[in-house]
This record gives sequence, structure tokens and C-alpha cells, in this order.
Amino acid sequence: MSKTRLLALVLIMILICGLLGACGTAGEKEPADTPAETPSTEEPAGEEKQAAEEPEPDIDISEFVEISNYVLGDPPANDMVDKMLEQLNPILKEKINAHMRVEWIEWADYLTKYNLLLASGQEIDMIHASSTWLDFWPNVQKGSFLALDDLIPKYAPKTWAEIPQEDWEQCKYQGKIYCFPENSYTQYVNHGIFYRGDWLKEFGMEPVKNFEEMGEYFKKVKEVYGPQGVIPFDAHNGMSLWEGYIISNTDYVDVRVNTGRHKVLWGKSFEEPFELVAPVFEDLFVEYAKMMKDWDEAGVWRKDVLNFEGDTRANLRAGQSASDQHHSNTYRYLRVEMDELIPGSDLQMFAWCDTRGNLVAEPITHGATAIGRTSKHPERTVMLYELFRQDEEIYRLINYGIEGVSYVINEEGKLDRPEGFDSARDGFSINWWGGRVDKFELRQAWEWEPIWDIWAEYDKIVKKPFPYGRFVLDRTPIEAELSAISEVTNQYGPMIDFGKVDDPEKEVEDYRNKLKAAGFDKVMHEIGNQLAAYKEQIGEWPPASN
Amino acid sequence: MRAATSTSVPVRKNTSYVSLFRKDFSKNWMLFLMCVPAILFFLLFSYIPMPGVYLAFVRYNYADGIFKSPFIGLENFRFLWLSGDLWRITRNTLLYNIAFILLGNTVQITVAVLMNELRSQWFRKTSQTLMFLPFFISYVLVGLFVYNFLSFEYGTLNSILRSLGREPVETYSNPAIWKYVIVLTHIWKNTGYGSIVYFAAIMGLDPEMYEAAEIDGASAWQRIRYITLPCLRPTFVILLLFALGGILKGNFDLFYNLVGSNTRLYPTTDIIETFVFRSMIVSFNFSSAAAVGFYQSIFGFLLVMTVNWIVRKIEPDYALF
Amino acid sequence: MAIRKRGTRIRIDTSTAVLNGFSYIFLGFFALACLLPFLLMIAGSFTDEKAIIKYGFRLWPPEFSTFAYELVFQNPDLVIGSYRVTILITLGGTAVGLFLIAMCGYALQRPDFMMRNHIAFYIYFTTLFSGGLVPFYLLMVKFLKLKDNYLAVVLPALMSPWLIILMRNFMKSIPHSITESAKIDGANDFHIFIRLILPLSVPALATVGLFLALGYWNEWYLSLLFLSPNMKYRPLQLFLYNLITRADFIRNSAASSNIPPQDIPMESMKMATAVVATGPVVLFYPFVQRYFIRGIVIGAVKG
Repeated sequence: MSKTRLLALVLIMILICGLLGACGTAGEKEPADTPAETPSTEEPAGEEKQAAEEPEPDIDISEFVEISNYVLGDPPANDMVDKMLEQLNPILKEKINAHMRVEWIEWADYLTKYNLLLASGQEIDMIHASSTWLDFWPNVQKGSFLALDDLIPKYAPKTWAEIPQEDWEQCKYQGKIYCFPENSYTQYVNHGIFYRGDWLKEFGMEPVKNFEEMGEYFKKVKEVYGPQGVIPFDAHNGMSLWEGYIISNTDYVDVRVNTGRHKVLWGKSFEEPFELVAPVFEDLFVEYAKMMKDWDEAGVWRKDVLNFEGDTRANLRAGQSASDQHHSNTYRYLRVEMDELIPGSDLQMFAWCDTRGNLVAEPITHGATAIGRTSKHPERTVMLYELFRQDEEIYRLINYGIEGVSYVINEEGKLDRPEGFDSARDGFSINWWGGRVDKFELRQAWEWEPIWDIWAEYDKIVKKPFPYGRFVLDRTPIEAELSAISEVTNQYGPMIDFGKVDDPEKEVEDYRNKLKAAGFDKVMHEIGNQLAAYKEQIGEWPPASN
Repeated sequence: MRAATSTSVPVRKNTSYVSLFRKDFSKNWMLFLMCVPAILFFLLFSYIPMPGVYLAFVRYNYADGIFKSPFIGLENFRFLWLSGDLWRITRNTLLYNIAFILLGNTVQITVAVLMNELRSQWFRKTSQTLMFLPFFISYVLVGLFVYNFLSFEYGTLNSILRSLGREPVETYSNPAIWKYVIVLTHIWKNTGYGSIVYFAAIMGLDPEMYEAAEIDGASAWQRIRYITLPCLRPTFVILLLFALGGILKGNFDLFYNLVGSNTRLYPTTDIIETFVFRSMIVSFNFSSAAAVGFYQSIFGFLLVMTVNWIVRKIEPDYALF
Repeated sequence: MAIRKRGTRIRIDTSTAVLNGFSYIFLGFFALACLLPFLLMIAGSFTDEKAIIKYGFRLWPPEFSTFAYELVFQNPDLVIGSYRVTILITLGGTAVGLFLIAMCGYALQRPDFMMRNHIAFYIYFTTLFSGGLVPFYLLMVKFLKLKDNYLAVVLPALMSPWLIILMRNFMKSIPHSITESAKIDGANDFHIFIRLILPLSVPALATVGLFLALGYWNEWYLSLLFLSPNMKYRPLQLFLYNLITRADFIRNSAASSNIPPQDIPMESMKMATAVVATGPVVLFYPFVQRYFIRGIVIGAVKG
């Protein structure tokens, strides 16, 4: 045996010893799911809910502290955030004897950085959280955040009183509150397709209400404007109409279990959300696959749609595309823009829910604020949140920036641009999506006013609350299966979504077989069981109040 | 050339290593000292974090840290084979890397050798500089250009075909073509960089050998065959051993930016790292990533130990260790 | 080339002539293929965005525009600051790293140094196994406390196994007799390395130094991990990388900020940022090239 190989052996032994040593200690620890507990506070838990006007006398704010606030996004190139902080911090000093520091988690590779930040145990006070796009629940399970039950009633009494109990319930894991929800902020992000109203009229068609009509519009565009190079629906790989097709054609409700490109598990209906269905295994999916194949052959999108990474919206703006796909909050601004760019374009939106009113509220933890397990000043951080949410002056600073520079309030009481506004110089954004409230929100001069009528209609049909608001999936028994299923949907999804298959029925069949092989039945069974248990836990459904 | 080869290393099987090292140390302590910065460097940045691979075997809990999180055996590896793609991605990764190593080095050596034959200083310098350019173009842009060239409706290739009265081709629906596109792109991007190593090795040669060869009337081919190429062998072996260690790794950018999420092309273009990337988007999990890293490492380690052992048998001087 | 004195030779045999012709053609074409995308990039950076959407990338801008550059240099202070940071990191890291690599490389090729293979293996082993992202991050942030410190970008890239072994191999071609005779004269190893070996290793130092410098110049992932956007100046590549992604970001999430979406020339901006980021190195490269000259090693030995 050569010396080198001996050395190799030694190095590997060291490695293994490290591992074994670690195993030894691991055995002694209690099992997983041990989120951090609130550091012991003198106050007894479960304090009575009350809205105090003044800070209670026994709150000690004598020590001046600095609070870090982690937000997602790229810091703006201008200095408006700093300017805002210059105004905000003296107020904070006076009110809670604290200073706020903004820390940015930039977009590039944000998921890695967000999770590394939490994993590293760096000191974090306030941090943005989201159950829909920032892995809030898995991170709670990993012990990233602090339980807030003892802190909120005492240090954020108004917020504690303002947020109804059932909303607090949606922030709980194993009976403890882990975040502040964005529970009273109207924001619809229901998806649909935007299309040209002027062309629709020209074709003598009625407003689009379902996928068949959508297809007719596309084909008509291809026929009339195709020769000029207009693409009926310039799409890119990231768009999938499958979800829209389900919502438009069934009463199914998204359980929001992430299984990659296609969500394979849905609730049967709002009334029976705990009954699981799997639309990919229904005839619906075959119909969909055939329709997409038909659209592809009709030239609805580019032949290379799977690889196209250009700006489809820019093409809509340029009149090169006759449709675009996104949610109604985008429509709110895009419509105004299009009216300016292509006067008379009369951009319309076919929302998936237009067909049969299948629309369910967003989870209120879509935007949320949490406090890091490592925070040294959780009390003061909670007080800071209270100010953000209850003090209108501070609310405007943190949301809109400096009045007269970044915004003005016009005579209609709307948010408007000041005279000589230059967005590069004066624009303000801090990506504070963790606690906006309708009571302080201002209408915007640059939004499409009628959106509020549409949303008011939505308010009537939307069934509140979000049925799975308190459901926290325990992924551990099916982690590998979920990954594998995602892999399958990610692979078959794009081909089927854009009709890039030779035989839709066969491809769907392959897809289903692959899902089965990846452990679909086990996942459905496990999640079904967890939902059944959840149903027991929440009692009556739908809530009587509705 | 190599005046003193390994003759001065008296390896006697029976001598104890400790005394041997002690002797060596007392004689060459300064050489050892010269290696100390490197030794400390790798200790700090590589060996100290290394036990962290244990992450691949736990259900990671931030509050408890890596080593106190519950041990779950091979659970984190399970997603690799459940989807049924493990074989496909391993095979693709392997085959591509073999193609990159063999073809890549062949082209690099060819370029370096031909570069050496050039008479015109100006031409040599210019072409060398130009070949270096692709190295600076990020794969994001490379992906854009490739799309621009191959896209069905507006691509340059199809414009040419149409103007010649030929049928346009649907490149993005044809998995078979992509093997070549990817390998070509890789070669195009890395030749300038890679050939520098070979070129530098040729530059280190004794010019007298060439002069002697010319006096002996050797043809250009003989010169290359008997002087230039043999001197590149150690460099090639080293490159090879480094490449083999990472044979299941790397090139994420190349594949991701050229193929993206066009799953129709996956049968020929999906590799381990693009696979992992997709899994990470769905459920961000450090442990799964660590598991894959471990799999790649073990594979590379076994391969390298084998190849190095073979090299050692044939030409001990070329072996890495 | 000075030593071979090609200009003075008269007789060229046919095989050499054929090979020469082939070399010119092959390398010429290859070089052109490498130049083409670069030209596309430059042309793209000067093309009006709408023209790119309409015609794709062309070798000559159909509609000339400098808007992309105006946006990139919207904040000239920032670009210059980023340049400075990158240059300092590159120079500092390359100088220190190159010296350490050369020192180790020299020791590792000394045939009389018995531990050399063990140390080489110790170094090489790190390319096979690594702790992965999380342990590395913890090391850097928690133990070395290098968050928001430029050293976080410099230190981990100082050396690499590949460059050390490469250096070792280059130095193998320096005859061991030089070392031996110097030892007989009573010089110690470090002195031999500094006085005799380094001057003989210029091509090797140029090559390895080039690779090191390019690594530093192109580095962005370490910056992304360890230099938070709170730092005013961050390395160029990251700054530009962010410019590219931020354009994406504005398009995608204009609806969630309070700023109405603007027309950002995304494609031409990508090109312009790339030109700004690569330009200086491309210009710098010919200076390094000078050192790739045959004969320095041996010639100096004789002299």
C-alpha cells in the first residue's frame, strides 16, 4: 500500500469520524420540529386581549437599540430610502427609543441567501416572510423564527386587538404565533389573460369568458393580424395555463402544496376543501392537452416558445403580441399604460374566475413579517411593527417615502407624482410587503380606476377565509416523493402546456405513469390524512359566519 | 530534460514512515515551511468545513445546527432515484464531460501546437487574443446569441435556409441536435483559455531541440509528433485528473442558459446540476443539495483514485500524488 | 521570435509550408468564430431596444442608440467605484496568491522533498470533497466574520489546487541542477526560490497569474453571498450582474412597487453591461501575452 493511499485513507477516516461524532451527539437530541421558543418574559402568557392607548408603564425602553429590518429586493440606486430613514429614525427614537437599519436581500439567488441568512444564526430582528414564496412554514419548522404569543399583546396591543382571532390562527404552528399577517390589505393577484378589446370588437366577438372563446380570439388574430407579424399570445416557458384551465372549468380549490410546474393536488370545492382531487388524472387534462396542441398548431405562440426568453409584455406594448398572461394587480397598471401607448387598445382581462366564479382568498400569510429567533430585541421589534401598522405618519414614510419628493396627495386624495418628479432620482421603494393595511392605503393616480369595481365584484364572490389558512403541511414523510413529483411535472408540464407533443393522449398517459412511479399515491394519501386531521382541528366548515 | 527524477526518493518498504518524515523534515524544513501557507489555506477553507457533508444525512434544523439535527440516513438521497431520472442525468453528465475532456483537449492541443507553428507574430497574437474573447461572454449572453441564431421564426440559420429555398429547421424541438450544439459551444468558449496552458508548456521547451530536429531534417509532422506532443503529456494528465474529479459536476450555466426549461430537449440535455436546480426551486433544501454533492464527490473520488493508480503504474512521474 | 530567428532562415520544407498554411486557415476561422459573438455584443449594446425586438441581434445596429450606456452609467460614481473595488481585489489577490502558489509549487516539485506527494494529495483532495455551501457560509460569516468585508472575496480564491499543481508542473521543467548547485554554494531553499527560480518562471507566473486574475475579475458569486447590497461599492461583475437581473425584476414586479413600469432597454442593457465589464480585461490581455515567450527559462540558465 502506497503512502499516498494511506494518506487518503486517513483523510477519509477523519471525515467519517467527524460524521460519526456528529451522529453520536445527534442521537441524544430530541427529534425534529423544535422551533425556537420565546425567551422567557416576566409576563404570564395568554394575557387578556386589550387595546392600550399608551405604552404600558412597565415597558422598559430606556436602552437605545438598533433594529435590523430585512427586506427582499435590490436597494434602489437613489438615496430616497436613506432620506426616508433620516426622517423616520428621529420619530422612532422619540417613540420607542430605537433606530431602524434596513438590510436588503437582493433578488439574485434570493432563496439561497434568505435561507442561508436564517441558517447561519446571524442576528435578525424583523424579516419579511411569506408562506407562498419564501418557505415560511418550513422555516418555522426549522426554528428560524421566534414565537410571538407573549410579546404581541403587550408590545403591539392595537395590532393584537385589530387582527381577528381567526386571522391569528392562520399564523400559528403548533399553537404558537410566528408572524404578523398582512390580513387587511386588498390585493387581488388572480390570474388571467389580457387581450386587445379593440380587436375583439373588430372581430365582432363578445368579451371572453372561457378558454374556448379565448382560442377563437387567438385564431382570429392569427388570421387577421398574423400576416403583419402579430403573435396572438406571445408566451414564454414560465407561463402555464393549466391552473387557469382548472379554475375556469371546475370548482376545485388550490391546496397550495407546491408540486412544481403543475399543482397536482386540489380540494374538491370551497365547500369540501378537504376532499382531495387530482385533475391531471381526469379527462379534463386530456382535453386541456389537446386544446394546447390545437393552439400550438394554430400558431398561437412562437414555435420556440419553450426557449423564448424575450420580454413578452414589451411585445404586447409594441403591438406585436395580442395577449399577455398575468394577474389583475398587473392589469391595474398595465391598462393605463396601454391606453397611453396604443390609444384605443382597450386592453381587457379574461380572469380565470370569470367563467364560473371560482375565486378563493389569498392566504393572509402571503405577505407577513416575522422576527428572527436570534433577535436580541424582540420586544422593541414588535413595538416597531406596531408603529408601522398603527401610526399613519410612519406608515406613509415606510410605504410611500417622503411627501413632496417621492409623492404628493392630490386634491382627490390620491397618491400622485410631485411636480418635476424624476423616478430615477425621486422614486421610492423599500418593498415593505409585510404589513400594509387598507385603512391607511391611498388610491393611486396612475392606476386604472375601474379595477376597484372589478375587485368589489370579486369581494362579493370571494369566499373567505382561505380554507387552508391554518393548514401547515408536514412534508417530512413525503419529502422525497414531493421532489420527485415536482420533477415529473416540471418535465412533462412545459411540453403539454404548449402542445409540444406528438400525441397528447399518450403523453398524458406517460405523465400519469411517471407520477405514480414517483409516489403520487403515497403523497395523496398522506396529505389526505393530514387534511382530515386538520378538518377535525378546525371544526365546522364552511365557517358559519359566511 | 528531467535531470533528477524520483531516483532520490529512497522508498524502502520496511522503513517506518515516522522516522522517514522526521529525516525529511530535518533536512527540508524550509521547503515544508514554504508549503505551510497552502496547507493552512486548505485546512481553513476546505478541511474545516468538510465534516459539514454530514448535512446530507440529517433533517437540518437551524436552531440545532448541522451536527445536532436528527440523523435520517439516506433519506435525503431518495429523491434522486424516485423520479426515475438518476440514470439518465448521470449518463448525460458523464458522457458530456467525457466529450468535453477528450474533444476539448484535442482542440486545445491542436490550437496550441498550430499556434507554435505560426510565423507571423502579429497573426499569432491577434488570433490568441480573439480566441480568448468567448471566455468573457457570460453564458446568459451566449444563450441569447444561440437562440438568436437557431430560433425558428427569426433565427439567422433559418433565414439563410429560407433564402436558399430550403425548409427551415425546428432546432428547439429536436433533442438530437443539441448534443452537438452544446459540445461545440463548450469548445468554442473554453479553447482560448485552455490552450494557454498547453501553449505555455510548449514555450517552456528547449528551443535547441527544435533546432536539432531541423538540422536532422525532421519534417513538421515529425517535429510535432516527437517533440511537441510528448512534452504536453504531463500537462494533459494533470488536466485529465482534475477534470475526472469533477466528472459529475459543473457546467450548469452552459446547459441552463442554452436549454432552459425546454423539457423536450431533456433526454439529451438534462444533467445532474440542472436537475438539482429544478428540485431546489420547488422545495429549498440544503440537505438535498448536500446529498447530491456527496454523490458527485464519491463518484469522482473513485474514478480519480483508479486513474491515478493506472498513471502511476505506467509513468510514475506524471501521477498527481 | 528572437531565438529561432525565423526571418533569416531560407529553406522551408514542404511539410512545414503545408502545416503553416493549415495553421493560418484553421486558427483564422476559429478566431473569427470567437470574434463574431463579441461583435454582436458590441453592436447590440448600441442598438435601439425596439430594433432588437424586431430584427434580433445584428452585426451592425439598424437603429443606433446609446440609451443602454446612459442607463448603465446613470450613476457614474457607482461604476467607477465598482471598477476600483474589482481592480484592487484583483491586484491584491493575484499578487499574494501568485506568490504563495509559486512557493508551494516549487517545493512540491523538488525531487528531494519526500513529503511532496503527500502534500500534493492533501491539496488535491479538496477538489474531490467539499463541505458544501452551508458549512462554508457558516465558516465565513460566523467564525471568520467576513460578512461585508472585501476579504471575503479575496481570501477563498487566493489559491486553488489546480493552479498549485499547474505551477508545480511548469516548474518541473526547470532543471534541478540549478537548485543543487545553489545548495552546494550554501543558499537556502527560500533564497533559491526567490533569487533563482522566480526569475526563471516568468511564463509560468504569467500563465498562472493570468488565470488567478481572471478568476478574481470574473468573480461574482462570493460577492453575492458575502457582500450585502448595503455596501456602497461592490465588485464590478456583481454590480453588472445585478443591473441585468434588476431590469428583469422591474419588469416582473413593477406592479408590487409603487413605481409604474418603465421601458427599460433590457436586451441592449445586458450587452452594454457586458461590454463595460469585459472591455478592460480584453485590452489588458496583450500585455500579459508578452510573457508567453519561448526560451526565457532556458535562455536565462545559459546566460
